Amino acid sequence: MGIVAKPQVDHAFLAKPSHDELARQSYASNLRMYTLATIGGGMRTVYDKRVKPQFEKAQGRAPKDEHEVRKVMLKDPYARAWSSMMRAAQEMVWESVVPTVERAQPELNNRIEALVGKPGVNKMGSLSLDPSTVKPKYATAVDIHLMPGNYETERTPNDATQGAFYDRGVYVYQGGMGGDNCHGIGMSLATFIARKFPNLKPKKILDIGCTVGHNLVPYCDVFPDAEIHGVDMSAPVMRYAHARAEAMGKAVHFHQMNAESLKFPDNSFDVVTSVILFHETSRTALRQILKECHRVLKPGGLMLHMELPRTATMDPYDAFYLDWDAYYNNEPYYQAYTATDMKDVIVGAGFAPDKYVEYLIPDLVWCDPAEFDAAVRGDLARGNALARWGESIKWSTYGAWK
Amino acid sequence: MAEPIKIRPVNRGKRPHFFDDPAIDQLFAIVMAMSAELSVLWDRVDTTERLLDQKGTLSRADIEAFRPDEKVHTERTERRNAYIDRIFRIIREERDSLVAHDKMTEYRELMDDLSKN
Repeated sequence: MGIVAKPQVDHAFLAKPSHDELARQSYASNLRMYTLATIGGGMRTVYDKRVKPQFEKAQGRAPKDEHEVRKVMLKDPYARAWSSMMRAAQEMVWESVVPTVERAQPELNNRIEALVGKPGVNKMGSLSLDPSTVKPKYATAVDIHLMPGNYETERTPNDATQGAFYDRGVYVYQGGMGGDNCHGIGMSLATFIARKFPNLKPKKILDIGCTVGHNLVPYCDVFPDAEIHGVDMSAPVMRYAHARAEAMGKAVHFHQMNAESLKFPDNSFDVVTSVILFHETSRTALRQILKECHRVLKPGGLMLHMELPRTATMDPYDAFYLDWDAYYNNEPYYQAYTATDMKDVIVGAGFAPDKYVEYLIPDLVWCDPAEFDAAVRGDLARGNALARWGESIKWSTYGAWK
Repeated sequence: MAEPIKIRPVNRGKRPHFFDDPAIDQLFAIVMAMSAELSVLWDRVDTTERLLDQKGTLSRADIEAFRPDEKVHTERTERRNAYIDRIFRIIREERDSLVAHDKMTEYRELMDDLSKN
């Protein structure tokens, strides 16, 4: 019963779990997916059949927004049980991976350093680190989505721990739903661009906030003739991303940079993308990053960002469900993002209003190929656009042509 | 020798509780952790049995070295999913009672039906 996802593909730098750690990680994955899909799948029914009618009886009207929904939903015993389980499952995901990564160290750092630090070593891609990179508060202040140490903790000059932790942790978190290389969104985004705009033929592509490259590495296969670049602020994550891509035989150029001040010249790239980045930045940063995307994009180039949908486009219940993470899963910037009108900020960053685009892209790992074809043709039914693992397989994207 | 590397939280904030008594949230977390440990043990027993089937004997090293192939991965995932559903049945059934239909109406209809005969 339930969906059986494929195990994560091993590579030379993936931290290796022991027999029992693997069992514990697999269980955390399965339990989280059960909580999300089976128990979470009942949340809407509990709202429609129990919570909303009670509210209407007492107030003579339906709850007006997600805040009112949250107030009444979290008094319901079912919603309390689901919430309690979601929180504990999220903690269990990370806890299950900690011993595996700690045991792999410091040997893993040393092996990565041996690859990174030797200019003579024959490599496909490259790594450039910039220790002067300014770390904004949104990147360092909290453990985003409860990941201990977030992206930025750096213990030694060669540390790649948080990259290794994220690589395995994200697989366990996704329960394999993101594909066996955690690559589903990137593969879907790249394939959509390649098929929808066959004449674009990008020569240089940039992905911002790429972390360990889960969703960037698939660009190499979709655009074999393009030069692929990725930026992220965290040196440990960039070191690991570089090692991982090399181990997978993919040519990617990783740069430690703050996307608010990219070091690339104007008009450098044909395509600029990101995958679920903006909800982890501040609203000010979002505007500045979009300006930078506009600057480094070539005239005629395409910018396309995959992100969560905007709560204003949803009914109050869906908005409550989507915003749950903001309150209880350490996503402090989530709400500011989900309240943002992407067209407004994209135009504000210098793109022409008539060049704005948004697409709903089915996830290639799970969707029916006919559904993807429909999305490329532009006649995909909107359906459930909540984009929660185990519940929806359509990703919202926002962008513009320069 | 270099200091061992430890992964530690930076700032997790205050842990939220959803029930009026935070101890109930703690109990949920404890039950979930215990269910995980039983599942780990179950995978270990499964490894042991598979090794015995294959070789008729086993060593601790064999158990530690065993990694599920795709077939075993699928079997274990399905077994875990069924196991999780048994553990959390009481919550899932509450959902089912709202999703499926009005059980009390069905029960009354059945009673009426039976009392006629």
